[in-house]
Amino acid sequence: MNSASSEHSATTSGIEISGLHFAYRRGFQLSIPYFHVASGEHVLLAGSSGSGKSTLLHLIAGIDDASAGEIRIGGTNILGLHGAQRDTFRGKNIGMIFQTFNLLQGFTALENVMMALMLAGYSTSQQRSRAESALSKLAIADPHSPIEMLSVGQQQRVAVARAVAGEPCVVLADEPTASLDPANARAAIDLIKEAARAAGSALIVTSHDPSLREAFTRIVEVSQFAPTEAVR
Amino acid sequence: MNDMIIVLRSLRVRLLASSVTVAMVAIAVALLLVLMSLREAASQAFRRGTGNIHLLVSADASPLVGVLNGLFYANAPANPIAWGKYEEIKNSFPWQWAIPTQLGDSFRGSPVMATTPDFLSNFEPVSGQPFQYASGKAFAEDFQVVAGSQAASEHGLSVGQKIVFSHGTGGSREGGHQHADHPYEVVGILKPTGSAHDRALFTNLQSTWIIHAEDRRENAASAEHEAEAEEDHAGHDHAHEHEHEHEHVEAADLTDADKLMTGILLRLPTRPGSDASASIAAQFDRLRRDMAITVAQPAQQIGRLMAIVGDIDWLFLAMAVVVLVSSAISIMLAMVSSMELRRRQVAVLRVLGASAWRVFALAITESTLIGLIGAILGAILALGGSAIASTILAQRIGITVAGTIDPRSAALVMAGAVVLAALAGIIPAIKSYRTPVARHLRPIA
Repeated sequence: MNSASSEHSATTSGIEISGLHFAYRRGFQLSIPYFHVASGEHVLLAGSSGSGKSTLLHLIAGIDDASAGEIRIGGTNILGLHGAQRDTFRGKNIGMIFQTFNLLQGFTALENVMMALMLAGYSTSQQRSRAESALSKLAIADPHSPIEMLSVGQQQRVAVARAVAGEPCVVLADEPTASLDPANARAAIDLIKEAARAAGSALIVTSHDPSLREAFTRIVEVSQFAPTEAVR
Repeated sequence: MNDMIIVLRSLRVRLLASSVTVAMVAIAVALLLVLMSLREAASQAFRRGTGNIHLLVSADASPLVGVLNGLFYANAPANPIAWGKYEEIKNSFPWQWAIPTQLGDSFRGSPVMATTPDFLSNFEPVSGQPFQYASGKAFAEDFQVVAGSQAASEHGLSVGQKIVFSHGTGGSREGGHQHADHPYEVVGILKPTGSAHDRALFTNLQSTWIIHAEDRRENAASAEHEAEAEEDHAGHDHAHEHEHEHEHVEAADLTDADKLMTGILLRLPTRPGSDASASIAAQFDRLRRDMAITVAQPAQQIGRLMAIVGDIDWLFLAMAVVVLVSSAISIMLAMVSSMELRRRQVAVLRVLGASAWRVFALAITESTLIGLIGAILGAILALGGSAIASTILAQRIGITVAGTIDPRSAALVMAGAVVLAALAGIIPAIKSYRTPVARHLRPIA
């Protein structure tokens, strides 16, 4: 692991990956000499399932550890941070969107968003105003209804709102359209892209769905980072 | 939004499991508090009642039985002490007082103690706290009675009322032989003393001797009649004993054989302000040599009784502690069994920026909160429970037990429940802490 020093390279905001190496037990590995996503840039990370897309997102989010290399987010090497420092950094700088939303049951839409803002370090009053504005921008009709009472479409919007409400440096969306039909998938991608643009965040979306390619100007095949094929 | 809201929602999402575990803690805490309160109150009740007596003379089988019968009205003493023996003991030492008592009659299940007015004026049921009157005054003549506070309220007695005693102390209100010819007038009602004496009624010895003397003479006469009746007309209704010619007895007719008692309360002279006398042991040893009587130092006997009962209620307390510990285990099991759902929540919180220690703390907070809510509910339950238990105890065994909970022991039990609950959260908390985040974010297959 490289040094934990987080000296800022003024030229790099967004995401800058260098010399990254990750090996999984069963022989699967990712190797990224250099990869850069500019601030505000939108990238589609394409590849079949099991090709390592999710793993790369998890590495960027700091919930998996690489064996070597750096991942700088807004200039800070997240892999050089440890424990609570890394968690706090993630909370402040990275928003994540999941295929199954991973919203918390038992909480309202507003509370789901406020919780993310709380963990990102916002004060209670800021949590409320930011969450309300994020939800209204995404047209959530009833922010006070429990999350499990909302339609799937509304739940997806809440998940997006939660990811962008803190205006993070980076938004990572892991197969956000995998459970949607093509028309809705495209609408969801447009929604996510618009939310990320409004928040000024860099966006990486993973998908195995080729039909989403036309929504992106930059498409990266994850297979180029995997020198050996994934082993079942 | 704050961490406490997260914990509260987590409890609400698993409402049934949360309620059951809270209820288990509450029941355990309540059980423990009630047992502790009863234990304390029972020993309190026994410590009250022996009052300022130094020695108790009876003809019971053992000193402890003598004390329980003579001062706590457990049963009517079976064996009498003769008048001559009383005179002998009374004159054998310059006692501060020697009060004869006679038990055996009852009023609707409440014991009647026949004694001298000295009992009400000199004997103090709790040392330093003499009897006080809520209304009326002490008995001064035959067939007058003073009622203890509980006896008065239980039977709705008031000064001026006439009541009839029955022979024997059997619990049944109808059973036993009624002394219907001799109604007693209630002349005084005592204030509560917190001792067994509150259940009793007090009258003078002479009244009791008179009615028992009449009974004995009537029975003798009726036995003669019966023998005749069997020859004349079989099936003679036996219940109308008092239709027979009445055997009237006056105080002057009483012989020494009629003057029986069942106990003698003795107090040695003491210095003012002191309750002890150096001669107690010597007098105890002297009286003990008389094989016809049983001598007890009441305080010592109650101490022995408490030692015996103490072992039993430690067992109860141990059981209650086991219940408390198992309620803590149930908290842990409930949390561990919901771990799969919990791990998803933990993974999401971690992604949103919560540290591993924070989710550890959330789990500990959750279990502690269950303990806290349970402890508070348990204390409320115990207040009600001990009130009920003390009522039952007062009715069944006649010990006045105040249904109060000592705040210090209550705080100790509640704190214990909270600490145990917090400890119960450790394993779920460790599991939360160690939850692999990436794995638990994936869609459920």
